[in-house]
Amino acid sequence: MAENENVIEVRDVTKSFKVYLDKGSQLKERLLFRKRSRYEERRVLRGISFEVKKGEAIGLIGHNGCGKSTTLKLLTRIMYPDSGTIKMRGRVSSLIELGAGFHPDMSGRENIYTNAAIFGLNKKEIDSRIQSIIEFSELADFIDNPVRTYSSGMYMRLAFSVAINVDADILLIDEILAVGDANFQSKCFNKLREIKAQGTTIVIVSHSLGQIEQICDRSIWIHEGLIKAEGPPKEIDLEYLDYMSRKMQDSSRGTDGNTGAESSDEEQSRRWGSGEARIKSIRSFSADGTEQNVFRTGEDIKLTVEYNVKTPVPDAVMGFGVFDMNGIQCYGTNTRIDKLPEFTLGESGTAELILRNVQLIAGEYNIDLAIEKGEGIPVDYFRSAYKIQILSSYGDAGIARIDHTWDLQR
Amino acid sequence: MSTIKELYEYRQMIFSLVKKDLRGRYKGSVLGFLWTFINPLFQLIVYTIVFSKILHNDIPKFYLYLFVALIPWIFFSSSITVGAASIVAQKDLVKKIYFPRMVIPISYVTSCFVNMLLCFIVIFAVIIVTGAGINFLAVLTLPVIMIVEYIFALGMAMIASAITVYFRDLEHILGIVSMAWMYLTPIVYDKSIVPPKYLPLYNLNPMTPIIDCYRTVLYEKQVPDLSTLLWAAGLGVFFLLFGAVVFNKLQKHFAEEL
Repeated sequence: MAENENVIEVRDVTKSFKVYLDKGSQLKERLLFRKRSRYEERRVLRGISFEVKKGEAIGLIGHNGCGKSTTLKLLTRIMYPDSGTIKMRGRVSSLIELGAGFHPDMSGRENIYTNAAIFGLNKKEIDSRIQSIIEFSELADFIDNPVRTYSSGMYMRLAFSVAINVDADILLIDEILAVGDANFQSKCFNKLREIKAQGTTIVIVSHSLGQIEQICDRSIWIHEGLIKAEGPPKEIDLEYLDYMSRKMQDSSRGTDGNTGAESSDEEQSRRWGSGEARIKSIRSFSADGTEQNVFRTGEDIKLTVEYNVKTPVPDAVMGFGVFDMNGIQCYGTNTRIDKLPEFTLGESGTAELILRNVQLIAGEYNIDLAIEKGEGIPVDYFRSAYKIQILSSYGDAGIARIDHTWDLQR
Repeated sequence: MSTIKELYEYRQMIFSLVKKDLRGRYKGSVLGFLWTFINPLFQLIVYTIVFSKILHNDIPKFYLYLFVALIPWIFFSSSITVGAASIVAQKDLVKKIYFPRMVIPISYVTSCFVNMLLCFIVIFAVIIVTGAGINFLAVLTLPVIMIVEYIFALGMAMIASAITVYFRDLEHILGIVSMAWMYLTPIVYDKSIVPPKYLPLYNLNPMTPIIDCYRTVLYEKQVPDLSTLLWAAGLGVFFLLFGAVVFNKLQKHFAEEL
């Protein structure tokens, strides 16, 4: 196969699904309730064309339901397009449903044989690969035990090892790099790179833009059944993130109780204090002043806190804390810790808090806000007062992002 | 052509599915694999009692006359009735992963075929024990007859299994069809009693020449009529090709329908 040859060619592919409102597949139902088996036709792909060259890795991105997984299923030939053509050259292996056809009562070794056979390998080919499969799975000690005795992690490791050792010309991957522990994941990643270097063509569907940026040469952004943009992952991913953050703003604006109205019971359970002053509303802005609550890693976030004062609070202290969705505090401080002079909240007003270069990893975060007095007596402690979302094109993990550089020359 | 090449590449999968099916079929039952023999033997006993003791006939060694036709018939009928559900039964695999879908009916029919081969051991044992005698030259044509039946059964199983995906009732309808079909094939009676005016229609049934051939070889101890064999082979190949075309057309939406 020549270099630069198209291994995958997708031309004007469309695909619709019939969504049955009430489906009867038995004769009686078909005859008696013919009117009932009405369905809606949902067009998932509206004409997609792209090609992939040998040895290239591409990532399909897009929000849920955009058609990217359907595209992948069409590539695997589990489904067929309604119109248009798909050409694939070479053996295809897919990491879509790992462990399809595993039989719980059979041993790991026997399952390797059946599973590899499903990928179209014959006995001789499997014999020559079995050693590397077992080695890669790190299950040598358990390989002759029935698979039902495996933990789910072991199960996935075995399945992944088979699929990746098929020596396919084209490898299709759907959201699977979340397999196993971090160690095994990085091993999978290295293996993928190795495979790619050997000239295997790879197509990945993933929500993790970081993973795509690490492996892929090109991103294809599918939006509502059409290709919206295509190009180097770094550029396309950013475009996509921008679009998503704008979209999320539209949908979150005004819907969630993000601006602390002082009413609901649920909210009352999240705030306490003596009540001389109350936080009235919270809003967030980007550096250029647009109101938004979705930010990208490394952006500045400006919070404005409006408060009402019933009776003046002397020795007032204001504080905030940032918590991730697991309730782990990522950061917290207050005006006393920051050595600001103590002040008196005399009358209602607005405070402004600017968080610079926010190095949080992708995810949603709750922000606690508090007004205290004296030695930490709460006046209005408002837990989970505000919610922000951080988007990131990095696939990194942890609580916060530590700024770092690598130097691998020495 | 490319289908055949691809199926050849997936031969290991066919092989392992057949093995799994044969091993798993009687798993957990006390008599296990013996059921492969017990089941047809009891059918044989029942039919022999009904059709030679209750309803009299003058066919000598009726049990053998019946046996050599019944075993091939059981292979065919189980291929289509149970084979019809084979794709639905493997829906997890079909929905999740690509492989040539024909692998499923092929492996199912093949495992029924292996069962039939095992039963033929019993047939030969009976022939030898009862001293009925064997014409070795005629037995040499037996593999050809078996292959013809296999081809026909496979064609039918492909059609049945593909349609069942869209129309689940077919599985049950086929139960009735296969019973009627059995009585429309000369298994428990001789073809000579069929009224001549129905014969042209009667001979359209591909199972008639096939069963005829089995019986000629094993019961009458003669080499089967070449024209009968060719007629059977022709019908078999026709239904296989027809089945393959239908199957290919229908398989495109399997994953969505299951």
